[in-house]
Amino acid sequence: MKDWHETGADPRDWRGTAAKVCGWAAAAFLAAMMLLTVADVALRALLNTPIRGVVELVELCLACTFFLALPASFLRSEHLVVDVIDGLAPRRVPLLKRASGVLAVIVLAVLGWQSWLVAQDSIAFGDVTSDLALPRILYWIPVLTGIIGSGIAALAMLLRRDGRA
Amino acid sequence: MSVGAIGILGVIGLLALIFLRVPIGLALATSGLLGYAAIDGWATALKMFGTVPFTLASAYSLSVIPLFILMGAVASRANMAKELFDAANGLFSGVRGALANATIGSCALFGAICGSSIATAATFSRVAIPEMRRHGYDSAFAAGAVASAGTLDVLIPPSVLLAIYAIAAEQSLPKLYAAAFIPGFVLAALYVLAVFAVAWVRPAWVPRVAAMKLKERLVAAIGMWKLAVLFFFAVFGIYLGWFSPTEAAAVAAFAAIVIAFGTSAMSWRGLVDALLETVYTTAAIFFIVVGAFIFSRFIVLTRFPNELVTWVQAAGLAPFSILFAVMALYLLLGTFLDEVSTILITVPVTLPLVTGIGYDGVWFGIFVTVMCTIGLISPPTGMTVFVIQAQHPDIPVARIYRGTLPFLAADFVLVALLVALPGMVYWLPNVLRMM
Repeated sequence: MKDWHETGADPRDWRGTAAKVCGWAAAAFLAAMMLLTVADVALRALLNTPIRGVVELVELCLACTFFLALPASFLRSEHLVVDVIDGLAPRRVPLLKRASGVLAVIVLAVLGWQSWLVAQDSIAFGDVTSDLALPRILYWIPVLTGIIGSGIAALAMLLRRDGRA
Repeated sequence: MSVGAIGILGVIGLLALIFLRVPIGLALATSGLLGYAAIDGWATALKMFGTVPFTLASAYSLSVIPLFILMGAVASRANMAKELFDAANGLFSGVRGALANATIGSCALFGAICGSSIATAATFSRVAIPEMRRHGYDSAFAAGAVASAGTLDVLIPPSVLLAIYAIAAEQSLPKLYAAAFIPGFVLAALYVLAVFAVAWVRPAWVPRVAAMKLKERLVAAIGMWKLAVLFFFAVFGIYLGWFSPTEAAAVAAFAAIVIAFGTSAMSWRGLVDALLETVYTTAAIFFIVVGAFIFSRFIVLTRFPNELVTWVQAAGLAPFSILFAVMALYLLLGTFLDEVSTILITVPVTLPLVTGIGYDGVWFGIFVTVMCTIGLISPPTGMTVFVIQAQHPDIPVARIYRGTLPFLAADFVLVALLVALPGMVYWLPNVLRMM
């Protein structure tokens, strides 16, 4: 049922390195999210001075964690797949993998394009968060980076020379 | 084409894409976008499509998921499973089936902390199965016990799956955790009864093991302090009013790291691996969440759930037959879909249907979660069964499935109890004055 690492990028080539870099960047934001929340709880309990705008900062860290890790999950072929068909028509599997790779590139391209349009509106209106007045575009940076990076990752996996999709 | 027909076509298209090996998140996003465009036109559909990713960048409640996964990833690496198994073994020592019951008790607590049925089954497959086989347990029963006990995490708080249900169904997570407590521990108790039943019917499968001395039992019991501390922060911290669910998850993950380093059970390399495992798992889950958000907007537009409720009410179907149909749906989906996808895909439709016959979102959350535990051990794609078979290739899959049968029966007993005594779900939330 699950397709973990089945045809993921070779850790020795540039795709494997790119997956690692994405993973480390996302892991850094995850650690920041945890430490920020623990610090807020501790400061609130001990000194009655919680960190101002912690919810907004945690949301930013969460966006960075997920969207920066997303290209890695394409490069590592870690998306959940139902592989019932493998037993029924094994010879069709390479073609189906290639077709879903093409679909991934198209969907991510459309998603990136549409998200960019919404992000432009956010810049034009000068949206800011309510507590810390952080520009909303800060949140859009990981979102767009993740979607566009995932599109490139899906394309890179599709164009692998060894023919594995 | 009518909106209803587009809705049905959208669902068929989704299932077809999933069957054709398209990643589940991608299948959800594609069918959701095309369906939305068919009803409301491409301009609106594309606008909706572009706004969904940003909703994930402003969803504080979702942050609980990676933090609980991190806590589990650290606990898995810090030898806590073996210590817990020894402690539970000390507790049950002397009774027939002690090792199997120790497996169930320790899987219940470790799984709750670890949050992943697959990781729990993989861990205890290494810890408990060799021990049971060494003492003469039937290998199919030993593997079946671990496969089944590995699914308890899905129900016992702090459950990641319940956190995902809370988001999909817009329910309060603390209330769901409180509601899951009694059914979760009732299920663990039913598993213990299943072991005793097997020991009675097939004593050769479950040989008696010499009892440990009192001193050994006490020493072993001390070993469970680490997971007890994590459980305290992750669960009781919420009900004592100390933390919100996200804060509880962050504090518990931090405590797991401190304990792991403090007891020299984990290296820096181990921490980096735990962080990486967490972000990769989070990305895989959240990609499905993004797809499910897109698909559910399409489903809402079709008004399919409302029309289904109206149709069911007009047809005058008995509530029990509707519940039976919902149960059949989850059993069917459980044979090929993972539990996260099952919940995210179905809840927008099944929740209104079930609330239409008098149940509420909290009860349904527990019901649907129990149905997911059944999916994890039912053929042909019981995930925990495959995980165990991969580590013990000498035990055939069919024999492991046979070993899970007593526990599958216990699952169905819990489903029957939930339907017959829905009060078992509300008792704790009522005591905590949450309802």
